[in-house]
Amino acid sequence: MSSEHADRADAPPLTETIAPGTATDPDVKSAEEATVTVDGQDIVVPEGSTIIEAIEAAETAGEVPALCYYDRDSPEAEKIGPRSECRTCMVETDEHGMVPSCSFPAEDGLTISTDDEAATEARDVNLDLVLSDHNLRCTTCGKNGRCELQDAAIDNDVEEPRYGVFDDREAYEPLDDSSDFIQIDRNKCILCNRCVEACNDVQVEGVLRMEGHGADTRIGFQNGSETMEDSTCVSCGHCVTVCPTGSLVEQGITDAATIPLPGFSQKNSIGKSLESTGKEKKGPMTRMKRDEPKDLTSEARTDENPGDWL
Amino acid sequence: MTDPSERTTALRVAGADAAGLAASAERDGVPVVAVGSTGARALEPLVVATHEGTSAFVPNADADDVAAAVDALADGTLPDADARVDHDEVQASLPIPSIEGFAGERSVLARCGWTDPRDPDDYANAVGFSDADADAVLDAAEGLRGRGWGDWCADEPYADLWAGVRERDGPTSVVVNAHGNPGDALLLESDPFAVLDGASAAARAVDADYLYLYASEADEAALERARDAAAARDYGVPVEVVAGPDVYRAAEPTMAIEAIEGNHRLEARLRPPGPEVEGIYGNPTVVHTARTYAHLAGAIHGDAPETRVVSVTGDVADATTVELAESDTVASATAAAGVDDFTAACVGGKFGGITTDLDVGLAPEDLDEADLGTEGVVEVLGEDRCPVAFVGQRTNVASETNCGRCVPCREGTTQLTEKLRDVYDGTYDEGGMTELMGVMESTSICAFGRDVPRTVRTAMREFDDAFEAHADGDCPSGTCAVGGTQ
Repeated sequence: MSSEHADRADAPPLTETIAPGTATDPDVKSAEEATVTVDGQDIVVPEGSTIIEAIEAAETAGEVPALCYYDRDSPEAEKIGPRSECRTCMVETDEHGMVPSCSFPAEDGLTISTDDEAATEARDVNLDLVLSDHNLRCTTCGKNGRCELQDAAIDNDVEEPRYGVFDDREAYEPLDDSSDFIQIDRNKCILCNRCVEACNDVQVEGVLRMEGHGADTRIGFQNGSETMEDSTCVSCGHCVTVCPTGSLVEQGITDAATIPLPGFSQKNSIGKSLESTGKEKKGPMTRMKRDEPKDLTSEARTDENPGDWL
Repeated sequence: MTDPSERTTALRVAGADAAGLAASAERDGVPVVAVGSTGARALEPLVVATHEGTSAFVPNADADDVAAAVDALADGTLPDADARVDHDEVQASLPIPSIEGFAGERSVLARCGWTDPRDPDDYANAVGFSDADADAVLDAAEGLRGRGWGDWCADEPYADLWAGVRERDGPTSVVVNAHGNPGDALLLESDPFAVLDGASAAARAVDADYLYLYASEADEAALERARDAAAARDYGVPVEVVAGPDVYRAAEPTMAIEAIEGNHRLEARLRPPGPEVEGIYGNPTVVHTARTYAHLAGAIHGDAPETRVVSVTGDVADATTVELAESDTVASATAAAGVDDFTAACVGGKFGGITTDLDVGLAPEDLDEADLGTEGVVEVLGEDRCPVAFVGQRTNVASETNCGRCVPCREGTTQLTEKLRDVYDGTYDEGGMTELMGVMESTSICAFGRDVPRTVRTAMREFDDAFEAHADGDCPSGTCAVGGTQ
């Protein structure tokens, strides 16, 4: 009998927990129907709204990218966000000063301005900060033309981002090309967390997580694996459908939108990639998440050891 | 334990290693008590020999000093000492000697290094545990403000917020956030019963079901004393002690809550609503520092002077924590810590304001007006330090240790670090830095990203010449390799 179970040693225990690595946010939505004023227009929004619902219903004076906000009209989409990480949805209110519209309750009587000078500058600077950490090789990207960051940059008239773009080849993370279904290019990730929420809160698969901190924050796997192939992914694809950029793309169409220049492709845009080992057929549907949570206590740089400067 | 009120002759050994030294000196007839730190850590182990209304202070004592002091007391005399202070025969608080490391009269720190932090009876005799009811506690809290960046109501009154929490449904929690700040850690280590006296009063005021003591895993003595104190008596509410990771951000109130809930990765929560509506496990929670609760305990007992607990760190022999009147100055704190020559001080915690002028009042309004922080930590930059390098390194630390959640903090600190590096390459983009810092301050989710710019902004103002000089290839302090020579 025991030999029958030997090949199922990796099967997960039923008590396995999901650890996405993110904070448990409070409910930031309004408790009742509210009438707010957006750039002089009275807008009525139902209970359960944040300011952005009113902004979307209005003719706004200023461009509000709200890049990381996931706006789809479905019950599943309600489980994703607001993460409010990109802060490109900042607007001015008479009552509370500058607030993030995607995650601020739409209280009755709020007076909101989208074209306030400081709020406009804040959205512009934050969008440029997002671009500063994004590999902007649109011409070899499979999401060229269907990328929310590209759209936001165009709509916001970004000509030359203040802080440049992520263009340090040494610092690029390798492409994760190890899965037969999904390719990961973390150099294009804006850390909106939609994929983590789709994976954990909608599909309840518990594969993806937010990990690290500071400049090393990244999307990783809850079982601690380095590659998609070794993760517990079941290839449902929900993460790909919610990804706003070219970070998560279906295999087979990773070059679908690239401009045909001989010798240039998504695959060689980074110069390094993690490949499938082809070592085995997939075992149990989901493997055990075997690693311990990352050690929070060891951060290399402290005041006593500030590391290299210059 | 000896009845503390009869302890008119006693030997106290204060400091982190006090227990071992005290145990070595046990002798019939002379009570030897291992007390917590006094806050003057550079002097510890500090022996305080008390006999008939006089205390003698022997700093940096070894086993021989302790033995000599016990012998003297056994003979009815006092040992040779650096300072002596006359006081009441029955003394409830540490007499303050005229030694570098001490300053001023103490109120919330009064018992640190004097009463036994392991013995609730000692606190009961010296002060007495309050049984004030909710209304009395809320009355005492009226006008008091939260202290430190780990306090959800930093520099703000909290009584109204408590009254609101009291009305809210759900299992309510009180959190004592003693993470990171040396003054908070000192209170837990040396006078945990005062903190618990204040916190259990708060628990009555908000009708709490749980009380958490939270401190950094690096502050082992504070955690140990907190655990002992939590188990020593009934506080009318279950008390749990939680250690958080030894990283600066773990003191931010919502990250403290994440740590208490057991999350393996800490990042800031969105707000509003704040923890007073959705805190621990989504239930109403009040989060304040140990200092806030200790001041509240004082107010309940009718002792509420306007004082601030200030810790001096950085280029000093050892961290020194003192208590000073709000009308006193930053300079008084650094003088007490023995600071003579310095380049500048970073006033108000890790991301405080940089200043060369320490003649600034300690009241939050005065510090705020000078664009300095109110965290109660003064970090000294010694004579040979380069302020430009300091802010570069500090910003770099911010870019590596932020929680990684929001763009203005995560990417902003990275770009700010780059711009500070550019100064060394000849480009001092003052306008670009000011624009970036303004957005970090106005759009970061929590105080981490909102505070980082203060350090850079104040240094740029205070040391404008040094920034210009670096851009021209010269470090005035001679400590940086600039001008492409590195």
